[in-house]
Amino acid sequence: MTLRRTFVLLSAVLILQTLAHSQATATSKGAHLATAFLIPETTSAINSSTPLSQRVVAYNIEAKYDAARHTLDGIEVLTYHNLTGQPLDRFPFHLYLNSFQPKSTWMREAKAMGSRDVRYEKWEDKYYGADEIKSFEVVGQGDLTSKLEYIQPDDGNKDDKSVVQVVLPKAVAPGESIQFKIKFHDQFPETQARTGWKRDFVLGGQWFPKVGVWWNGAWNCHQFHVTTEFFADFGVYDVTLTLPHYEVVGATGVLVNTVNNADATQTLTYHGDDIHDFAWTASPRYKVGEDTFPGAMGPVQLRLLMQPAHWSQEARHAKILKQTLEHFERWYGPYPYKTLTLVDPEPDSAAGGMEYPTFITGDTTWWMPDGVHLPEVVVEHEFGHQYWYGMVATNEFEDAWLDEGVNSYTEVKILDDVLGRDTSFLDQFGITAGEHELQRLQFIGVADLDPMARKAYEYATFNSYGGITYGKTASVLLTLEKVIGEDTVQKALHTYFMRYRFTHPTKEDFLKTFEEVSGKDLRWYFNQAVYGTQVFDYEVMRVGSYPAAWYEKDVKEKKGETVYESRVQIHRKGEFVFPVEIEVKFDNGEKVREQWDGQDRWTRFTYQKRAKPESVEVDPDHTINLDRDDFNNSRTAEPRAAATRKLANYWNFVSQTLAQFLTWWLV
Amino acid sequence: MSDEGSLISAGLRIVNRHKRYIFWFWVLNLTLAEFGTAAFRNQMHGGLDHSLLADKLLHGFALLVFVELLTRPETGSMTGSTMPAMYFAILFFLTTLLLMPGVLEGYTSEGRLSREEFFLACGRNLWRFVRLLLFFAIIAGPIAGMLFGIKAALVKVAGKSTNEMAPFYTGLLTSLVIFLTLTGIRIWFDLAQVDVGVRDQSAVRKSVAAGFRYARRHLFRLLATYSGIALVGLLVLVAGVWIWHALVRPSSVFGTFLVSQVMLILWLWARFWQRAAAVAYYLRESSLPVPLPAVSEPVPLPEPAAPLVPPTPEGAAPA
Repeated sequence: MTLRRTFVLLSAVLILQTLAHSQATATSKGAHLATAFLIPETTSAINSSTPLSQRVVAYNIEAKYDAARHTLDGIEVLTYHNLTGQPLDRFPFHLYLNSFQPKSTWMREAKAMGSRDVRYEKWEDKYYGADEIKSFEVVGQGDLTSKLEYIQPDDGNKDDKSVVQVVLPKAVAPGESIQFKIKFHDQFPETQARTGWKRDFVLGGQWFPKVGVWWNGAWNCHQFHVTTEFFADFGVYDVTLTLPHYEVVGATGVLVNTVNNADATQTLTYHGDDIHDFAWTASPRYKVGEDTFPGAMGPVQLRLLMQPAHWSQEARHAKILKQTLEHFERWYGPYPYKTLTLVDPEPDSAAGGMEYPTFITGDTTWWMPDGVHLPEVVVEHEFGHQYWYGMVATNEFEDAWLDEGVNSYTEVKILDDVLGRDTSFLDQFGITAGEHELQRLQFIGVADLDPMARKAYEYATFNSYGGITYGKTASVLLTLEKVIGEDTVQKALHTYFMRYRFTHPTKEDFLKTFEEVSGKDLRWYFNQAVYGTQVFDYEVMRVGSYPAAWYEKDVKEKKGETVYESRVQIHRKGEFVFPVEIEVKFDNGEKVREQWDGQDRWTRFTYQKRAKPESVEVDPDHTINLDRDDFNNSRTAEPRAAATRKLANYWNFVSQTLAQFLTWWLV
Repeated sequence: MSDEGSLISAGLRIVNRHKRYIFWFWVLNLTLAEFGTAAFRNQMHGGLDHSLLADKLLHGFALLVFVELLTRPETGSMTGSTMPAMYFAILFFLTTLLLMPGVLEGYTSEGRLSREEFFLACGRNLWRFVRLLLFFAIIAGPIAGMLFGIKAALVKVAGKSTNEMAPFYTGLLTSLVIFLTLTGIRIWFDLAQVDVGVRDQSAVRKSVAAGFRYARRHLFRLLATYSGIALVGLLVLVAGVWIWHALVRPSSVFGTFLVSQVMLILWLWARFWQRAAAVAYYLRESSLPVPLPAVSEPVPLPEPAAPLVPPTPEGAAPA
């Protein structure tokens, strides 16, 4: 019995050992297979001999575009390197094009809140877009198409198909890689949200299944919303596009191969390093301009795809692009990519003003006057995203202000430098507009609605999202210059860029960099400006004076001799507390500067002088861009009606003209 | 000199002989607009008169400062400013409707009308001009509606073209067609108005018919005349804007006022010139034998029992 028991025990041990050995062998083979899916270490698309980012993904896509149907069929081989430090058995993917369907979350929000481009009065078939997965295979784990399920992590809208998820039978171990083979079919909509077709033009943006980002210990893969953009991991892209032979094509990355096929198509292969998205465009009518920028890390080939009717503006676009590049490199850090493609999209296509890695779209018209700087503003802004989104890849779903807002700030700084502070947006027929004012004006109407630190899809209104994300952020950073100095803000942004390029920093990373570089505790400011909704509004409440010896009989006032007692009262109308400077100008030309910490609701300054205050101004150097109302920042003792008369003249002229025009046609 | 040239110069002679009409219409135009601007001025006073920011509007025109001014809650709704301006524009139109018969009476007269004669013509023809306006609205309204509809449709079709300029040129061309068509209708009714005054025509439909006949007879010459004068108006606009921008200091309130009002006077002058050209044309054409329908044979006026004015002795100066 004992022997038998011993035999059974020995047998069991042997079996277990055999099992353990075979399992170990299998694991070893599996590990061998997994590590075979290497992310390439290529650097042919960057001016660097080593990779610049921690590459998580490698996309290898072969796609064929049907220009007549606006459809695309593709095969995507996605290699994912698990650097999360834990096994992953669940992978979510964005299918952005599925948002252009009537019941999607994006479309519901667009209908309810309005979108940037289209007023969805009634549904039209041309709005329809789709990204359909035909088959989904995991190498080594088989076909998992049937295991795909749409998920709605943000709003639970079961009709939304912008995110799909797969649960793997076997998890991917930390440090291992996995490969997905996905066949997909796209239907592009008429351009909405910067992707789709218009006439014979197409812009392929967000057109392929894209894996989410493991961020802060969880998958971050939001549904597509009308106010959100994107978030993705860095990696390598190899994309082969087959299109009709007559198309002029532009795309992210470097063109590495062109083949003219026998069936009147062409096949173009692009390669991109250390990027997190891939976009392309095609139109038979682009006129191509080329230029080179001598970048700090190496030459950058600039390729401009212009509409024929805009060709005369090619030099204008190239000029602002190079000026922007030069400023960014000088102020914030080097541009490492070998290419930059600027696309002037089809007119009325709603594809203008968009950024993808090494690929941006401008916005102009054939009649654009030189003094209207819209093309300059758009080109500068979209290029700026190569830094604030492209390289410093913040989460655009959750922290939109970190890309759009920071970018709006650098837009103001660069355009002010290039085109002048008061004329950086408009300088035509004596009518002027500056970027400072433009940013401020965007948010003052919605100043108290939402904090900057709010997820992009949780804003109260579309205007609030735009105003706060772009305008307020720019104004907060412009006003921060008053607190820590313009040079320090620039230095902090440089540090932030150099430290966090090719990563996904958070809002606190950004704010702490400013505190570190300035050496100051700025929480009092950030808590109000970034995390709060306090409205900034200071006003000159009262300016008054009277003869100090008013009680004497027959007081005769004489300029320069009579002593006046004067009072100036400043009021903090809003909740935002901020130290301000006040300038009191007296009628003898004397100017007095006062400081107020703004802690109380109001303060008063009194003077006894042989002069009366002529005017009082809060923030006389105009360094505060956050104030909701600039008109009440100053007050003159006596009314000055010249400006009113001038505007009334204009109004009169328009009224008279309208009256004449109406009358002469009817009588 | 060509026929067009003579018509233009004949109109110019008439309009220059009666410059005071232009002056009084300008005064009317300005006065009513001043009333219409009062609300806007009051709104602006509150925001601008004590603020140093007003300097950005005085010493230049900072567009976004102006936008901020209009959008601040303290400024209030702009409806309060635009509606009075609209009301006074309509009042100018109605007053012009009332006074235009007097102007045309003056243009068709050899000498200068007395005030009584002017207003008598206005009163006599007011209802007739109102009816003409209704005829004009009935005819021009649907035609304009149809033409603008066609324009919109054509521009939409052109918008599908891959040539970006196609919608622009389509819009330009169709606008030109609309302009010429509506100008043709305007000429027709300008002549009908002259006919009403000259013939003292109560049955305005007959003047409408007469105006149509006269307009159709030399339509292209009239269109060229009207368009040529309109071009003068356009040149006034271009020159005015250039002077405003290049020569007038932004802070010069008086300079701004002066240039704008000179432009407005010249536009009035251009329109009165068109009217005078229509009068000259009508007078020339109506001296030709015009076949009249049988029902409208002139009824001889009864001979006065005695001369209203005693005959002046030969050689004596009139009293």
